[in-house]
Amino acid sequence: MLRKYNTLFVVMMVTALLLSACGSSTSTPSSTSLPASSVQINGAGATFPLPVYTEWIYAYQYVDPSVTLNYQGIGSGGGKKAIIDNTVDFAGSDSLVTADEYTAGKDLQMYPMVAGAVVPIYNVEGVTQTLTLDGNVLVGIYNASITKWNDSAIAALNPDINLPDKSITAVHRSDGSGTTEIFTNALSSFSADWKSKVGAGTSVEWPVDKAGNGIGGKGNQGVAAAVQNTPNSIGYVELSYAIANKIAYANMINKAGNKVTANADSLASAMNDFANTFTDELTNIIVDGPGVNSWPIAGYTYIVLHTTSMTDCVKAQKLLDFLKWALSDAGAAKRAADLGYSVLPDAVRTQVLAKLGAVTCNGTPVLSNS
Amino acid sequence: MDKSPHSLTGRRPAPHWLAHLRLALHYGDRPWSALTIGMALLTILLMLSIGLLLWGDSSQARAAFGLSFLKPTSDASWNPVSGNFQAWPFIYGTLATSLMSLVLAVPISLGVAIFLAELCPTWLRMPLGWLFELLAAIPSVVYGLWGIFVFLPTVVEPMGNFLASTLGELPMLTLFFHGPMPASGSSLLAAGLVLSIMITPTIAAITRDVFLAVPLTQREASLALGATSWETIWKVLLPYGMSGILGAVILGLGRALGETMAVTMVVGNSIGGSLSLMRPGYTMSSIIANEFAEAVTVLHSQALIEIALVLFIMTLLLNILARLLVWRVGRGIPQEARA
Amino acid sequence: MTTGTNLWLGVSTRQMIQSKAGYRRRKLSNIFMLAITGLFTLLALIPLFWIIGYVIYKGGQYINLDFFIHLPRPLGITGGGVLNAIEGTLLLTILAGLFAVPPGILAAYYVSYKPNTLLGIVVRFGTDVLSGVPSIVIGLFCYALIVKNQGHYSALAGGIALAILMLPTIIRTTEEMIKLVPHSLREGSLALGSPEWKTALSVTLPAASQGIITGILLGIARASGETAPLLFTALGNDNYNVGKIIQAGIGNHQNIFTILGMIINQPVDSLPLTLWKYAQQPYPERINQSWAAALVLMILVLSLNILTRVWVQLRANRIHGK
Repeated sequence: MLRKYNTLFVVMMVTALLLSACGSSTSTPSSTSLPASSVQINGAGATFPLPVYTEWIYAYQYVDPSVTLNYQGIGSGGGKKAIIDNTVDFAGSDSLVTADEYTAGKDLQMYPMVAGAVVPIYNVEGVTQTLTLDGNVLVGIYNASITKWNDSAIAALNPDINLPDKSITAVHRSDGSGTTEIFTNALSSFSADWKSKVGAGTSVEWPVDKAGNGIGGKGNQGVAAAVQNTPNSIGYVELSYAIANKIAYANMINKAGNKVTANADSLASAMNDFANTFTDELTNIIVDGPGVNSWPIAGYTYIVLHTTSMTDCVKAQKLLDFLKWALSDAGAAKRAADLGYSVLPDAVRTQVLAKLGAVTCNGTPVLSNS
Repeated sequence: MDKSPHSLTGRRPAPHWLAHLRLALHYGDRPWSALTIGMALLTILLMLSIGLLLWGDSSQARAAFGLSFLKPTSDASWNPVSGNFQAWPFIYGTLATSLMSLVLAVPISLGVAIFLAELCPTWLRMPLGWLFELLAAIPSVVYGLWGIFVFLPTVVEPMGNFLASTLGELPMLTLFFHGPMPASGSSLLAAGLVLSIMITPTIAAITRDVFLAVPLTQREASLALGATSWETIWKVLLPYGMSGILGAVILGLGRALGETMAVTMVVGNSIGGSLSLMRPGYTMSSIIANEFAEAVTVLHSQALIEIALVLFIMTLLLNILARLLVWRVGRGIPQEARA
Repeated sequence: MTTGTNLWLGVSTRQMIQSKAGYRRRKLSNIFMLAITGLFTLLALIPLFWIIGYVIYKGGQYINLDFFIHLPRPLGITGGGVLNAIEGTLLLTILAGLFAVPPGILAAYYVSYKPNTLLGIVVRFGTDVLSGVPSIVIGLFCYALIVKNQGHYSALAGGIALAILMLPTIIRTTEEMIKLVPHSLREGSLALGSPEWKTALSVTLPAASQGIITGILLGIARASGETAPLLFTALGNDNYNVGKIIQAGIGNHQNIFTILGMIINQPVDSLPLTLWKYAQQPYPERINQSWAAALVLMILVLSLNILTRVWVQLRANRIHGK
């Protein structure tokens, strides 16, 4: 009937497809067009390390063009579920694999990759300087026992700042997140009362909500927007987010009693505080470290792999080569630092690389020359 | 009444069974019937499988909480750490936002549909129709972002403060309208308004097509009897297309019940225990979307699936209700009035 | 016509029709109500223009040719685009349409002609209930059914999830439109000796086509804007490029079916998914790109709508000999 229009449509579609092929091969480095031995590796999980993983994956194209990596941030829980179901080759997770998950996944192992910090952000009328808070104050705000900005506890830490007599609105994450887990781990360490009444996790029941002063924001952006739009409020976001968006974040008094700012050094100090307490599962909670310069609200982000049940050995080799590169390469470390993450200190890195060497595929170790 | 099939040639009519047999064996009809029935069965299969999945994957949670999961209580608890879950705040949030969106969207969509079908100049009809269909294509994430950055500060917050200071002071309504509205505007009101904007194109576009499909003879007969345009629309077109309109409304309601992303971004995501529309709230799809990806314990995941199950059953019940309504309303309208 | 008292309190319908004052009242109420519909249309148009204007304003600043023809690049490296997402959206929409439209129309046909049978009633229920299922639950359903069994995320799973989302809209609108086709049309065709299936395909469905196409376009518009179900089915893929896959396939001398398989069995990205991912990231560059992606999506869907309507109009003109 409309034959000539049908043909025209088909011709347009085919042209579009071919154009897209041309477009891509001139835009990406020519060595990434799929050669015969190309391998596709898929990963999914935490959004916390997404920026740094994306950087690494892009840079790795130049190191080994035969492999195409793809990592998507669907959440730590989603990632863990996916690796247990074997629908991805590796998972990223901020939250620790639970006993049930280890049983379900059979041969899962966590490997810390980088550490990140969580910082308190605030929006207080008339305050342009940097606030200083400490563990007790944070706990007090989030369990609604400290309700005004000019509370004596806050004023004592900030003697030079004029704090208003206004109610505090506490913003937290509404979506489950590793950031919340790190933050609540810290709160649980600061206060045994918090630990028993509220506890730590990717989602918790916030006492401020019950008291009517809490707001839930979705994602880092939701929290930041809520804090920005609500006068006299406080929230918590990842350090990388605060840096990228130039949001003012508070200093903290750490366990050693010193005022610290969140940065690569204080993060490294926090990691070093716990470098020797890694379990066999290579997981560690690094909040509230005793070091002189340690940032108290920090956490690792992990990659989760199957250690013995991988069957595609070419894929396994490529994947582990990538992980080894990410952990050891100086350029990769620099990229991570630029984005606000801290790479593992040497003491930890050697442990992780050793564990990676133990991964086998069809019986034989994958990394033959770790 | 004469039950025999009529014959064009005037011969004695064929026996019933022969005519039926001929019809049944008519080339192509059997496969066609089988195909249509098969596809209809597929739809049912789909619904049943989803229901079954939801039922099965919430077994632990159902066993742990029983019916207390649904109890309306003002200090409901949702605690992933201690494993105590109650769904009432979310049920209320979903009901409140969806009904609010329907109350706002249905009259407006009807108005738009009437305008597009009856009053619009022909040259304007197509482009305007496309514009509305474009509104349906905007991703829910964009609605959410626009809501947070533009709509809530500009419209919802002043509106909420106004309502809280007027209706919120009246004795009966204070339960639903008391403030204070959060400074960001995140509230059940915000979610209801955004949802009404989202479902308007669906209801309007389908209703417009329903009106356009009403035969001209119906309209002309009414006008010939001396009715004004509006009377024609109200008394002839609307009843004629009532089934289609209700279908459109149910689709809109379905979208409102299940909408996730946009609602999550503007509803405040907070369980406060208040019934007020001006306060932050939480809906069933929001909590699932927020917490499912990161749910660590099995009980937590299963509690979230149980919420999905409750939503599923609630949709079922609302549809039964709507169908009863259609039946009652449609009883007076002759169904075979279509020439 | 109804008897009894009218909207204007206390005046009976007879008085309204037969008295001069009644006539004036009816005229006024006519103008009043029609003005209200105009007002409502304006009211509905305000958010429309507002949102579209906002998307154009925010997205238009960051859109450029690179955006359409390149794959994503990390921050700090210019020239990144969303080619993977555009191709993914097109592919997912095509798959969703293929999976949803034929079953939907066929099921709706059955329901519209046998509405009072048990099957008809249950199917109508089923579609209404299905339309209320949150999109994220449908994603989880497809994950359990398809992704887990296949062992990987894929465009196929994403397409099926979107098809399930589209199905209620298509079935509902098709059913209503078929019911509005005058019985005389169908009976005339049957009386002329045409079998049921031929009547359906050449008389009933074309007569209802305007509305059916609206339903399909609405369904596609909704499906192409969804994020949540794709999180668990299509996952997302920063390196997806159909052109590259075809090139590699030809280079490896693979047959067309293998190439097609590779196209639909990989994780894919889509514009709303990219939008959502980027909007959550800390970096202003990504957020700008997410608005640009929203703009691209709107342009795509609008073009699809316009193209389809124009095509239908041309076809209709051809039939009527214009």
